[in-house]
Amino acid sequence: MNKKKFLAMLLACVMMLALATGCGGKDASAPADSAPADSGASSDAGSDAGSDTASDSGPYKIALIQQHQTNAFQIAVTEAAEAKAAELGAELKILSADQDAATQISQIEQCVTEGYQAILFEPVDPDGLRDAAKNAADAGVVVINIISACTDWEGAGISAVSYGNNVKAGETEMQQVADLLGGKGNIAILTGPSADAGGLQRMEGYENILANYPDIVQVVSPADCAWDTAQAQATVESWLSAYDLDAIVCENDGMAVGAGNAAGANSGIVISGVDGTPDGFEAIKDGRITGTVSQNGGAMAANGIEAAVTLLSGGTLETNVLVTDNTWIDASNVADYE
Amino acid sequence: MKETKRTKALISEYFIFVIFIALVVVLTCLKPSFIQPGNLVNILKQASINGILAFGMMFVIIAGGFDMSVGSTVAFTGVLAAMLGQGQYPLIVPLAVAMLAGLAVGVVNGVGVAVGDLPPFIMTLGTMTAVRGLALLISNGKPVIGISTEYKAVAASSIFGVPMLAVFLVVIIIICSFVLAKTVYGRRVYACGGNLLAARVSGINTTKIRISTFAIAGLLAGLSGFLMTSRVTIGQPNAAESYEMDAITACVVGGVSMSGGVGKPWGVVVGCLLITVIANGLDIMGVSSHWQKIVKGAIIVLAVLLDIKGKGKKN
Repeated sequence: MNKKKFLAMLLACVMMLALATGCGGKDASAPADSAPADSGASSDAGSDAGSDTASDSGPYKIALIQQHQTNAFQIAVTEAAEAKAAELGAELKILSADQDAATQISQIEQCVTEGYQAILFEPVDPDGLRDAAKNAADAGVVVINIISACTDWEGAGISAVSYGNNVKAGETEMQQVADLLGGKGNIAILTGPSADAGGLQRMEGYENILANYPDIVQVVSPADCAWDTAQAQATVESWLSAYDLDAIVCENDGMAVGAGNAAGANSGIVISGVDGTPDGFEAIKDGRITGTVSQNGGAMAANGIEAAVTLLSGGTLETNVLVTDNTWIDASNVADYE
Repeated sequence: MKETKRTKALISEYFIFVIFIALVVVLTCLKPSFIQPGNLVNILKQASINGILAFGMMFVIIAGGFDMSVGSTVAFTGVLAAMLGQGQYPLIVPLAVAMLAGLAVGVVNGVGVAVGDLPPFIMTLGTMTAVRGLALLISNGKPVIGISTEYKAVAASSIFGVPMLAVFLVVIIIICSFVLAKTVYGRRVYACGGNLLAARVSGINTTKIRISTFAIAGLLAGLSGFLMTSRVTIGQPNAAESYEMDAITACVVGGVSMSGGVGKPWGVVVGCLLITVIANGLDIMGVSSHWQKIVKGAIIVLAVLLDIKGKGKKN
């Protein structure tokens, strides 16, 4: 009796799964509907032979594998990639590696098997994903890194990278803070997870600037708050009862918001973040944080998709390093970025 | 027999309390600003959300269960509360919805464990993953911003210098301690965890009791979600990662047995304060994060080890 029940439940689960994947399939084919219209239009202008090959290959099949999809920055990446793919008439499948390198490697292998012509991904680990990228490139797939790049990416056969420069973002942020402090003061730094590549690069940027300002002193060791608002808030509350801080420099906006909550609005402490996410903008507007360096994840993804389509259609890229600029956003210009 | 059991429990509580006081003294000597009123308020604020979760967890563990899903439930209900707390409804609406949603997750856990006979670890691991997914789904993966000023004030305000968050915690402590120690229901929770079969044979509806403990944990996770959003001023779907571990740590350090049937509310309060004080103290001393992890792990193991040794000696 119990076994029967269990089997019935299992069957129901399988059916639901099938339903879910069925729906997913429909989603993916939606942009494909618009694509034939495009290729039809181009065949009017081109020769007959050209139109034949175009109809054979159909729309370009592109896969995007994100590191994860659990924050505003990554969602901006998803949305921009979808918009760009629809605009260029490419068929786009988006996957999330959930911060796991092994998952991302299997996803890349799976996409190669399924015949995707281009794979864009943000490596969960710059070294760990290198071989998987190389194997995909060797199989004739156009591989592009977005947001961050694999170690020696050109050597791994990766065609292009589209990223912001984390070191530069760190430099921009620390320079702004140094200017606001007049080159002198006590600061503290909140970092992402201790081994995170992006966080380490931002820290490198901080150190580059701090080298020029001997009067700016770090009074406590940088605290690893794992990108988390609540954790940053608790750490800064504790700090403020023991230290006199002039600035708190955070490696992302989520932690800057936590620091801002702990210090209160218009506290006189300079609090800065990186990313330019909605929670950061809200805190800039009500004076809890001073400013943020925007990392335009959407533009990185869109440029990556565009590069993929250019390469697939036989074109060449002017440069295979596509750098998205970062900008300092504070109360004076926050309205332009929302 | 009863006498020795009672003294045994008393000594175990006493020991963890001594360790706690010793830690406070050491921290005060190392960094006098630790004991300033401002920092004591910080400690209360920082202990509150974990404390409320730990009290829910205490019911589940005493009844012989285990709940991995509370962290995800905090995130899910926090996002719900942020969506409803934009000023369009009175504050009671987000509070009630968050608590009911938490309750629903708890009941699902309870039914899976007590009726479906699934191991608690597996059942709540499943809901932990699924509920995190729900949080991401309803928020579309983005933090929910724009909660009303009144809602922000819930966690930010204080009464006679005592932060509102701590008031919530104290109310929860009083209610839970009373229920567990003074009511028939409380006795039955202990009975279920002590020996499930014996409890069933003696006529206790163990299914109902076990479901209810998960429901309490869920309900309190919902309350925590509501408070969490007020504290950080945004509803984040990826918040409260591994909060279940902190809640379980507070229980275990406080003398709640993982095999069920044993544990006192008072111990959980001390356990919760102990881990908050460790984190706060290390932050204040400016200890690097890498060392903090090592020190935190070592202190937890040492505290429980001393606790067990202390019990052994007296017997």
